[in-house]
Amino acid sequence: MQRSAKVRFNLLSTRSRQLTLALAVTMAALMGGTAYAQSVLTVLQAEAPRSMDPGDHTASVTSTILEPMYEGLVLRNKDLKIAPSLATEWTNSEAGKVWTFKLRPGVKFHDGTPFNAEAVVHSFARFLDKGRGLAAAGRITAVIASIKAIDDTTVEFTLKAPYSGFLTLLTTNTAKIVGEKADVAGKLGTVPVGTGAFKFVEWKSGEYVLEARNDSYWGAKPSMDELKFTWSGEASVLSMSVQAGNADVVYPLPPTFAPTVKNNPDLKLLNTEGSFVYWMSLNTKLKPLDDVKVRQALNFATDRGALVAALLRGYGTAANSPLAPTNPFYDKSLATYTYDPAKAKALLSEAGLPNGFTMTTAVAQRDAPIAEALQGMWAKIGVTLEIRNQESGVWSKTAFADPAGKQADNLASTIASWSSGSFNPDLQLRPLYATASWSPGGANLGFFSDPHLDELINKGAAEIDDAKAKVIYNEAQKLINEEAPHVLLYSRRDLVATSAKVSNVWMTPGGVVTVQYAIKAK
Amino acid sequence: MKLYFARKFLMLPLVLLGVSILVFLAIRALPGDPARLMAGPEATQEAVDNMRIRLGLDQNLFEQYASFLWAALHGDFGISIQSKLPVTSEIAERFPHTLALALCSYIFATFIGVPAGVIAATNKGRWPDQIVMLIAIAGASMANFWLALMSMNLFSVQLGWLPLLGASNWQSFIMPTFALGLFPTALIARMTRSSMVEVLSQDYVRTARAKGLSNAVVYRKHALRNALIPIVTIIGLNFGSVLGGAVVTETVFNWPGIGRLLVDSVSYRDYPMIQALILLAVVCVVLMNFLADMIIAALNPRIRFD
Repeated sequence: MQRSAKVRFNLLSTRSRQLTLALAVTMAALMGGTAYAQSVLTVLQAEAPRSMDPGDHTASVTSTILEPMYEGLVLRNKDLKIAPSLATEWTNSEAGKVWTFKLRPGVKFHDGTPFNAEAVVHSFARFLDKGRGLAAAGRITAVIASIKAIDDTTVEFTLKAPYSGFLTLLTTNTAKIVGEKADVAGKLGTVPVGTGAFKFVEWKSGEYVLEARNDSYWGAKPSMDELKFTWSGEASVLSMSVQAGNADVVYPLPPTFAPTVKNNPDLKLLNTEGSFVYWMSLNTKLKPLDDVKVRQALNFATDRGALVAALLRGYGTAANSPLAPTNPFYDKSLATYTYDPAKAKALLSEAGLPNGFTMTTAVAQRDAPIAEALQGMWAKIGVTLEIRNQESGVWSKTAFADPAGKQADNLASTIASWSSGSFNPDLQLRPLYATASWSPGGANLGFFSDPHLDELINKGAAEIDDAKAKVIYNEAQKLINEEAPHVLLYSRRDLVATSAKVSNVWMTPGGVVTVQYAIKAK
Repeated sequence: MKLYFARKFLMLPLVLLGVSILVFLAIRALPGDPARLMAGPEATQEAVDNMRIRLGLDQNLFEQYASFLWAALHGDFGISIQSKLPVTSEIAERFPHTLALALCSYIFATFIGVPAGVIAATNKGRWPDQIVMLIAIAGASMANFWLALMSMNLFSVQLGWLPLLGASNWQSFIMPTFALGLFPTALIARMTRSSMVEVLSQDYVRTARAKGLSNAVVYRKHALRNALIPIVTIIGLNFGSVLGGAVVTETVFNWPGIGRLLVDSVSYRDYPMIQALILLAVVCVVLMNFLADMIIAALNPRIRFD
């Protein structure tokens, strides 16, 4: 048999043999099969990672990939409480302006360098260095004035002003401690070096990020040998992939596919209250939306229950506050604008617009169904909504235009969503409603401005006593609701589909899936 | 004729220069700011400005183009805005995947399309012809992403026969090859049929038959060889559309090739990556046409290009 094959091969002309050989080599190179003897958890997400440096991105899917490899001084545990991580204890003084952290001794980075006060100082000082221009720098520079090492295992932060959300900020992906040597070498964006329970193996562009268990990890050893992260922009592929057993965990699962997953005994649906609030920001500088009655009318003309039922298949909550229900300062009792077209019409008449008016909205393609639903609802009160359905890059340019730009563009509204995942109301209210946050410098896309609200936001941020802060934030939510610089829509529930064999995976509000403690049954 | 090919080859750098200017200007005319997209929605204006400086986008267009061109001439296409990896190394890693997939689809298309067209032509007007043409029309008009999703659902999710995503083993080539290859297959089948039908009505075919040659010999040696010229032209010219199809196919199948890379790069406004990818596509299309010309010249010694 072998001989005849050889003879036949020789019969081919030299040129075609070379061609066949080249082809075979190419194919063989591409087909190097992957066999896993170890336990691997495969996670499929909706987009590719943006960086391997936790300080150089602000995307939650990237955080999911980086969380197992990096640690912060403190962490948020499964019960969503703040707990020690690389710091063992902490105190604050001067009414919350100065914070001192005692560091965990004997911890090493993945590259073997020691974790100490110097590494912590470097991890934060790099944000304060304006020349670096790290993508997440704004989150740190807004809060921290300086940081210094007291001794090898003690660091001290001085804040710009007392800030109630400081510990929360330290739990975020941005505030992870990175290996100084790797960062100085400029390699952190592609080769991550942290202290986490998993260490980096490979980032194959367009394919996957592979991480392996860190055997010299200081804490409890994870159950999985490897974590493999892949991504696909096709929503239906996410669902098919967990059904076919191709992925163990997929996120975010579009609500359309939730029933399929729920009814499949081989799969599990993790359904948690989400932190993404969707709203339509109204341009308060543009007529007739400068009139609060018109803005309220639009709110009364919006059937939020119908939006949740139709667009989210019920996997959401009608919004009554600019804060998501996951936020500890969320005011559940705040009266929502219940759907009432008659009241909306009356308000429009009071504003001198009995026959309604025409307005525009800019919406990114993925959110276009929201605009279409609103268009139908508002037609009933005589408001014509003209939709500009835009590719996400174009939308972001339109949405973040300055007041003059939106005036020239005659842009009356923008549909957007925001998550302040890490529980701090300041990260939601300040960027979206403070006068200082007018776009393009912030995400106050409708140029809302109220001096009393600005005062409340500042007071709330500086109040370390949660009970006192709650009073302030309740007042802020009420004020925003009455002034209606927006049409609040809904908050989306976070849906994750996993194989039924997988347990101990959970969602942290803000869109980060915690997978490093996962257990996978054989 | 050597002169013709030499001239065509020498034109390539000029074509590339022209295309590079066009691409450079076109992607900057796209609305959307890469600095804003990279810095994220909550970034302050200062952070966005810092990012713009870091990406070298604060320079004027002429400066940007000049430094791009100078670096490109030295084989450096810059650093990807999205992944922060050198553009050339990322493309080098991913291009072989696209090439392998395109090659498989071409082989599939040729080995199915040409015989199907011959069968249709030699049975003109009878049922084999009608069946082949019906399939060809369906194949040419079906959206390949739809076909891809349907076959994924059937063969991976329901039946579990084939891997769903990625390029990990030879089985994972089957569905993407089919999805990408169906359109060229249909095109080749239709082209082969009409070309064969025309050739079969020529005098020399009648002569060959009159000599007493068998049908098989007439079809293979006399008819097909002459009929192949427009088919090779079509195959060559369609390489661009196969690359275009790869964009969709690779996205659906998570194929780690340059098609999916291009989609990701456009959504992040990854200027250096888009520039390099489009230049690469242009080189491929030009080389493919060049190759088609050479094959045609070899097939029919009467054809001269000069």
